[in-house]
Amino acid sequence: MGTVQFLMDGFATALQWHNILFALVGVIIGTAVGVLPGIGPMSGVALLIPVTATLTSGMPTEAAAASSIILLAGVYYGAMYGGSTTSILLNTPGESSSVVTALDGYQMAQQGRAGAALSISAIGSFFAGIVSLIGLVLLAKPLSNIALEFGPAEYFSLMLLGLCAVSGLAGKSVTKALIMTVLGLMLGTIGIDAVSGIARFTYDIPVLYGGLEFLTIAVGLFAIGEVFKTVIEREADDAPIAKINRILPTKQDLKESAKPIARGSFLGFFIGVLPGAGATLASFFSYITEKKVSKNPDSFGKGNIAGVAGPESANNAASGGAMIPLLTLGIPGSGTTAILMGALIMYNVQPGPLLFSDHPDIAWGLIASMFIGNLVLLILNMPLVRVFAKIIQTPKKYLLPIIIAISFFGVYAVQYSTFDLYLLLGCGVFGYLFTKNDYPVAPLVLALVLGPMLENNMRRALTISNGEWSIFVTSPLSLVFLIIAVAWIAIPLILKLLGRNVVVNDEE
Amino acid sequence: MVKSFDKISGIVFLVISLLFISGSLKISGSAYGSAVGPKTYPLILGIVLALLSLRLLYESFKKHAETEQKEKSQMYYKNFGIILVSAILYVFLLELLGFIISTFLFLLVAFQVMERGKIIASIIISAVFSIGVYMMYVNLLGGTLPKFALF
Repeated sequence: MGTVQFLMDGFATALQWHNILFALVGVIIGTAVGVLPGIGPMSGVALLIPVTATLTSGMPTEAAAASSIILLAGVYYGAMYGGSTTSILLNTPGESSSVVTALDGYQMAQQGRAGAALSISAIGSFFAGIVSLIGLVLLAKPLSNIALEFGPAEYFSLMLLGLCAVSGLAGKSVTKALIMTVLGLMLGTIGIDAVSGIARFTYDIPVLYGGLEFLTIAVGLFAIGEVFKTVIEREADDAPIAKINRILPTKQDLKESAKPIARGSFLGFFIGVLPGAGATLASFFSYITEKKVSKNPDSFGKGNIAGVAGPESANNAASGGAMIPLLTLGIPGSGTTAILMGALIMYNVQPGPLLFSDHPDIAWGLIASMFIGNLVLLILNMPLVRVFAKIIQTPKKYLLPIIIAISFFGVYAVQYSTFDLYLLLGCGVFGYLFTKNDYPVAPLVLALVLGPMLENNMRRALTISNGEWSIFVTSPLSLVFLIIAVAWIAIPLILKLLGRNVVVNDEE
Repeated sequence: MVKSFDKISGIVFLVISLLFISGSLKISGSAYGSAVGPKTYPLILGIVLALLSLRLLYESFKKHAETEQKEKSQMYYKNFGIILVSAILYVFLLELLGFIISTFLFLLVAFQVMERGKIIASIIISAVFSIGVYMMYVNLLGGTLPKFALF
């Protein structure tokens, strides 16, 4: 059966009325989640897992899995659309992948061009979504075939590459990023070792046998940490909301954004495919690229539309791209895809190379539904924007405690344990301390997810080779990945030593 | 403040890595006779962290020459402290008093700490949120949240 045939079948699944409804609900919730600061796609997806389980309880497992994942994926890329709204209107990023959008987007809003900024974001996001989906369709089969050749050594090196990619690019200090990565890996070792059944670092405390839950730590570090930061450092007044005058962009705007959108989409897609690098990295990268290729780089930060078009396309393309390693290799490309993987496993669907042969209707149904979801988002974005702008005008006095309450509710609903709530608070405090002192938190969270898989693959590879460590370098693919990983970290360091400034996150 | 935090955290990380290394040495070296056991990976991590924290300390001492300038904007530590303590109490009382009551109390305290005044609005919003989430999640969507457990 050809790819096109599969895709048509996928559309047949996606166009069933309940799946359209699920997609619709998913993208609307996703946009809301992206708009609200403090609750991000990760928490949104995690919170909805028990909800989707209840909603689909009447259906046969396969159909239930397809419908749930359609809804959850809708939340994921919907959040990418929503995050830009607050960045542009309020200079407050809805979540980390929209941070760069605020730089030029808010300036545009101040100049009365909020409507243009918003619609260019939507158009760019839509285009990027389609590009990443086409990429997904084209690459799914070939990548799964290659993935079947992957042995544990290759997986190990690939994941190491992903971790190095995140550390090498996140923040001003590679040392700090690497420390956070290792810290995350260490936190991942707490619990019962999967291979041997031996308890590690549990000190006879029963709650620790299952290990530390990724969701709790992620929500604590990101959401609660952010809330604490706002509480402590609260400025007397938030930036006033900008008015939305004309909705549609001018021809000039469209012309200027066309190339950034295209560049951002392809860049974002490739970064998204890399395991460990996600939407946030993609948006930063795109901003830097646009600034470098622009004819007037000084206008960035003052309302250059390329600074909005590029990053917004990049983050949507990255979220589509991140689905690829999830679906084809079974390796989550980012925190949110890790949660999506958890949801799939819950329905007894193992993501990986066999997903396309064992459960083609889920895989292709999901892909087809992503097309539909992107279209819905583009159409809905304009009317929805005004609605969400109203929501954000909630004064911080009410918003912040409610975000804390939502996070508590979210974590408790998933974990049913007060230990996790204490852990949540603790991570919130640490999250505040870390971000305040330039320790990037994202590598820690990603390492927490990839850690157990990293170790399992390492052990498997060594078992196969009977303890010979050379297996990681004798296998050609594995060697390539390791070389790229080392280069990723070493090259910026070497360039810095030679005097060139290659810092990525440097916009002030 | 940043650089002294770096020095302190460098030392803290070094200590953590040493503890981790000693902890992982106690883990059994081999399972079912395999060549590599559950102690290897944590041991490697501990060593890497130790090296990284040494490098961090080195970097933070090197930056010592830079001037110290931090915006002296006001830090609302007291507000944060109260909210943190009430959050801890919230978790502690959650399964005793049930979701609705403890959420209501927490939100009320937090709203007032953020900005005193308009107490009627605070009460209404806290009540609506707590009851609303409970109703929606438990009754409508079939989830489970703690109920009032004292009597």
